[in-house]
Amino acid sequence: MSDSFHIKLDGKSVSASSGETVFEVAKREGVEIPTLCHDTRLEPVGACRVCLVEVAGQRRLQPGCAWVVTPDMEIQTQSDRIERHRKVLYNLYKSDHDLDDARLPLETGNGNQLRELCQTVPDMNLAPVEAPRSDRPMDDNPYIQFEPDLCILCARCTRYCDEVEAVNAITLSNRGSATTIATAGQRSLIDTTCELCGGCIDTCPTGALIEKKAPKNLVQLGGTESVRSTCNFCGVGCQLNLHVQNERVVKVTSPEPGETLNDGNLCVKGRFAYDFIHHKDRITEPLIRDANGDLQPATWEEAIAATSAGLNRVREKYGSDALGFISSSRCTGEENYLMQKVARAAFGTNNVHQCAAT
Amino acid sequence: MTNSIDEIRDSEMMFVIGSNTTEAHPIIAMEMKRARQRGAKLVVADPRKIWLAEMADLHLQLKPGTDVWLLSAMAHVIIEEDLHDKAFIAKHTTDFESVAQKVKSYSPEAAEEITGVPAEDIRTAARWYASTKAAGIYYTLGITEHTHGTDNVYCLANLVLMTGHLGVRSAGMNPLRGQNNVQGANDAGATPIYYPGYQKVVDPSIREIFESAWGVSLSPNNGINLNEMMKEMARGNLKAVYVMGEDIVISEPNVTKVEVGLNACEFVVCQEIFHNETTRFADVILPGACFAEKDGIFTNSDRRVQRVRKAVDPPGNARPDWEILCDIARASGYDMPDYPSSKEVFAEFASLTPQLRGMSYDRLEANVKGLHWPCPDEDHPGTPTLHLDGPIIGVAPFQAVDYRPSDELPDNDYPLVLSTGRTLYHYNSATQTRRDAGPVAKQRGNFIEIHRRDAKILGIAHGDKVEVSSRRGTIQAEAWVSPRVRFGCIWMPMHFAENRANLLTNDAGDAITGTGEYKVCAVRVRRSKQATEALAEVASG
Repeated sequence: MSDSFHIKLDGKSVSASSGETVFEVAKREGVEIPTLCHDTRLEPVGACRVCLVEVAGQRRLQPGCAWVVTPDMEIQTQSDRIERHRKVLYNLYKSDHDLDDARLPLETGNGNQLRELCQTVPDMNLAPVEAPRSDRPMDDNPYIQFEPDLCILCARCTRYCDEVEAVNAITLSNRGSATTIATAGQRSLIDTTCELCGGCIDTCPTGALIEKKAPKNLVQLGGTESVRSTCNFCGVGCQLNLHVQNERVVKVTSPEPGETLNDGNLCVKGRFAYDFIHHKDRITEPLIRDANGDLQPATWEEAIAATSAGLNRVREKYGSDALGFISSSRCTGEENYLMQKVARAAFGTNNVHQCAAT
Repeated sequence: MTNSIDEIRDSEMMFVIGSNTTEAHPIIAMEMKRARQRGAKLVVADPRKIWLAEMADLHLQLKPGTDVWLLSAMAHVIIEEDLHDKAFIAKHTTDFESVAQKVKSYSPEAAEEITGVPAEDIRTAARWYASTKAAGIYYTLGITEHTHGTDNVYCLANLVLMTGHLGVRSAGMNPLRGQNNVQGANDAGATPIYYPGYQKVVDPSIREIFESAWGVSLSPNNGINLNEMMKEMARGNLKAVYVMGEDIVISEPNVTKVEVGLNACEFVVCQEIFHNETTRFADVILPGACFAEKDGIFTNSDRRVQRVRKAVDPPGNARPDWEILCDIARASGYDMPDYPSSKEVFAEFASLTPQLRGMSYDRLEANVKGLHWPCPDEDHPGTPTLHLDGPIIGVAPFQAVDYRPSDELPDNDYPLVLSTGRTLYHYNSATQTRRDAGPVAKQRGNFIEIHRRDAKILGIAHGDKVEVSSRRGTIQAEAWVSPRVRFGCIWMPMHFAENRANLLTNDAGDAITGTGEYKVCAVRVRRSKQATEALAEVASG
């Protein structure tokens, strides 16, 4: 089992357990260490070098996300040296990144954490580097878009695809400045093992992976309302944030990893299959079949009266048990409660069931 | 599920049977993958080489419908090799001897004959399962959608009990529920034999409680289940149906009979968000609201109650379904309370349901991870893991089970076994997912998976249009020559309204649950006439 001991974090003695990283201990202590490549769902790789800290006895700065603590270790998360390092590092990232007029990393609608970090250091005005990272122009998948000029090669997406979703549809490919996120043979994601879960978008720290169908201005607008709900497809019960703009659900994301049972993950249906909500085929008014067998629009009063009359007619003629009430495991608990109450209390039959068995 | 989803990642072994978890429960599958990567053993029993089988330590590719043989042989090995947990059995169970006697005749060698699974693999699976502490069983409709579905479940429960895998973290017996709220619908009493909270309708003392709460006298007789309703409709005994949020003409087995029944009904009302196959038969259609347009709760597979919250208004004049139901009750002469919101409906539901009595919207608001029932009072934290202090019912009985073959086996006329199921990309009758570009791009229409030898015998190439027939109907599909299925077996998804798999399936149901035998029926496959003609045209042109 894990041993407990003390370490010094920014001069303060704090408790830690064997196997923990500097990043984990700091997070628990409320000390924020910035990072781009780290995701609690993934094995730490120390790729982005943003989280470097000073470890007493170590000549070089070390990555906090991957550095495992040992008893009495002394850690500094802030110092002039770290600040100098970050200034150069962020500016190097900028020299290989799409910038806006203010010379800040572009915002693509999925959040760009590099942009936030760059705002904390002065601009060194480094000349742009030539980075021939290829994208996939032929990729016609409907959901996931890759913007190579915003990619910092932290490999969160490819590691997510490997370690969490485990389908390995995308990978780092090529060498040096041409390194890019690729599929096998640069095929469309649709034609790979990709299951369109969108976890790569969710984990991407710079918005190099973005949702094709969500509006690109969501972050700038900042004003979208987010409503926490539960997914309506399978029985896992994933938690969702429904993002609403102009009375429409325009994007679905998962709450942060660690917060809910889905740990930040969603599948293709939960994340993307929400077009049905505002689809033109939705039934928008009650309909009653006329004598010719055609459905005619009706008011609610008429429809409720027709329903009640139809059910009561059968009940009077054949008895309550000639009625069947088919409830729905797609509807809410309250609605199922009410459906069985309607069957039992209003119509006197226990003939009520739902698709539990299908 | 006896255990919670959060526990899966700490498993030491997972026995997944009759569950295509990566497609039907993708996020639970992610937890399984994580456990696997942390070193947990994975044994998958499935007639298909499903995705999870490819990362498994052991894949038991049994013939469809032979689960009782496989599981009884595992029990046989466990007892024969003295791997059972005698202390647990003595303390918490009854009738172990009956099962021990019964499984004596289910040797792994005999099981190999019937199931097609090598005897040595059965032994290995049994040893791993019995000798690992945190070993959980995960199953889905591959276990239950049989005429012997209940027997399959008994066999699994026998394994859990004889190895003491109950009340242990990351172990237990875990059915993964198919729909978002199938657990909640049952909890709420949308079942013919139970009031909310699994309280029997035939128990007079229980009935009294509900009669007093609802202010009416209630029927003392059990109702009929969905499978029986469909049959009684066709026989002309069920004269009116009120169908809310279910496309029975796609999802029930042998749907030709369902259509006959609906045509015979004197009155059909559908409460729906889209027109579907069933609304074609409706006399009245009431436009309901989808999950994003109303408040309420869903209860997931691990008995976790979580909130559904309204994000947008329903379109046009559509209304939340719970409001519609209240109006219908009032118009029909029942004095339904005037609930201001779904919160008050939940309060009434929870007050009558012992397992939920300690829950309220306020508590659900404060617990972002949801609350697991049983949660009997306001101070109770909920119960993520059941049976921690021994079986809730006191002692758990073993159930000795005899193997019974599936209702319809292949013969000369219909030589192949058809199993149906779901895919990752579509959901049930697919009225939602077929309106989104991704699922459609991945799967446009109906298909079958067929073994290359069967395809060769039938002269079918990958991508050919084929006709699949059973004694009940014929539909079209595209043939996918697939390494996933067994020789002699085909598989088909249930999602496509224009080629409904359930025109083929057998409506013989499990004697206790009424669940139809979706996983086994006899079919024949041939290249379809149009496809053959089109190909001939190409050849001659």
